[in-house]
Amino acid sequence: MKMENHSSSSQEALMLNHLKSILLKQDRQEIDSIKKTLYTKEGLEKEVSPLIEERIEYLKTNFSKEFGIHVDNVIEHKLEASKEQLLNVIYPVLGQMIRKFVSFQFQLLKDRIDQQVSSVFSTKGLIGQIKSKILGIRSSDLVLRDIDKPIIEEIYVIQRDSGLLVGSYSRQETMDKDMIAGMLTAIKSFAQDAFHVEKQELELINYGNFKILVQNFFSYYIAVAISGSLSSQEQDHLAVILLEFAEKDMKGVSLHLITSELTEEVSSKLEHHFKKDIFA
Amino acid sequence: MISTKVILTGSFGVGKTSLFNQFLFNKFSERYLTTIGVNVKKKIIKVEEEELSILLWDIAGEISQDKVPNSYFLGASGIIYVFDVTRPLTYKNLTSDIDYLKSKIPGVKVKVVGNKKDLITPQQLLELEEELSQPADIYSSAKTGENVEALFEILGRAILGKEA
Repeated sequence: MKMENHSSSSQEALMLNHLKSILLKQDRQEIDSIKKTLYTKEGLEKEVSPLIEERIEYLKTNFSKEFGIHVDNVIEHKLEASKEQLLNVIYPVLGQMIRKFVSFQFQLLKDRIDQQVSSVFSTKGLIGQIKSKILGIRSSDLVLRDIDKPIIEEIYVIQRDSGLLVGSYSRQETMDKDMIAGMLTAIKSFAQDAFHVEKQELELINYGNFKILVQNFFSYYIAVAISGSLSSQEQDHLAVILLEFAEKDMKGVSLHLITSELTEEVSSKLEHHFKKDIFA
Repeated sequence: MISTKVILTGSFGVGKTSLFNQFLFNKFSERYLTTIGVNVKKKIIKVEEEELSILLWDIAGEISQDKVPNSYFLGASGIIYVFDVTRPLTYKNLTSDIDYLKSKIPGVKVKVVGNKKDLITPQQLLELEEELSQPADIYSSAKTGENVEALFEILGRAILGKEA
């Protein structure tokens, strides 16, 4: 009886296995195929590569959008944490650069002083020494003054109200002089209106190593652009020369109509007066 | 050649700077241009073989008494008063503005120009002409360049006393 039972249960198991193999045949084939894909390098590479490529392409163009904030935060955090180390690295480099620049500028200054000193025994030098005796200025001061002496770079005669250029002289080519005259007049007008100073006028504009001195007359004004250092004595000297110019050369000049002939005439007079070094 | 100062004025945003640029550089900026203070540029034009050097002052904003420094107007021989044909507010005070300018600079030649002509139809232009308190001298478009050269030519003629 026991033997019969055993035999029937093994038959049942066999039949069950047979049934399983019939029913699960397709599933097992699919699992085998997936295993082949997943567990072999070639299979996995074939399936995943396109997806990775696509993602890489996306990130190439959208990296900052996806990770920008995180990267910024990390960098900010890292910089904050290593600020001291960073400064320790940068400071010596900056120091070296500044040191090099200062020493270069000193060398330039030294060269220029050497040049001046070597000319002390030349005719110019001897004239300088006589000048220093007469004016009561030390020779060394005269030498230093010559290093950064003022030079009239540009001079303009401008009709007072309209800002039209009456005449000009420049040592070098500059931008359109009519426009410079117009803008200078606009700045002058603006300053006058902005500060409600009808009886006073703009007399000086400073920018870097340049100065624009303005000498006002009744129907026109003269603007002088100067490079170098201008002492108050030199400024007075320039004012005297401008007054002389106005008295001698602008007297009788009618500014009712600004023509190119008038501009040429006044420009030629300016060149005659200001081409030479008036501060010599 | 004679030099002359010309003022370009009118309400805020009527296209003065665009006209200025179109006339001087033959270009138009699509950006909305606003001017800070004043801009000065030069252009030489020819009127019947006579050359006229125009120093053009492009003045920002309204022309009302307290907004533009009075001295900006001094010594000008010509004024171009610009309004926007699409914005009635910009030509509402046309007559009083012109009277004010003429009182500031006696004898000045004034040309009134309706700008942005490209934005309205010929019918709308006719309606606008009826609406204006005084006629415009010319209608222009700084965008297309239409009548910009002509505007400066009629002003040049007026300054040189060569008006037809």
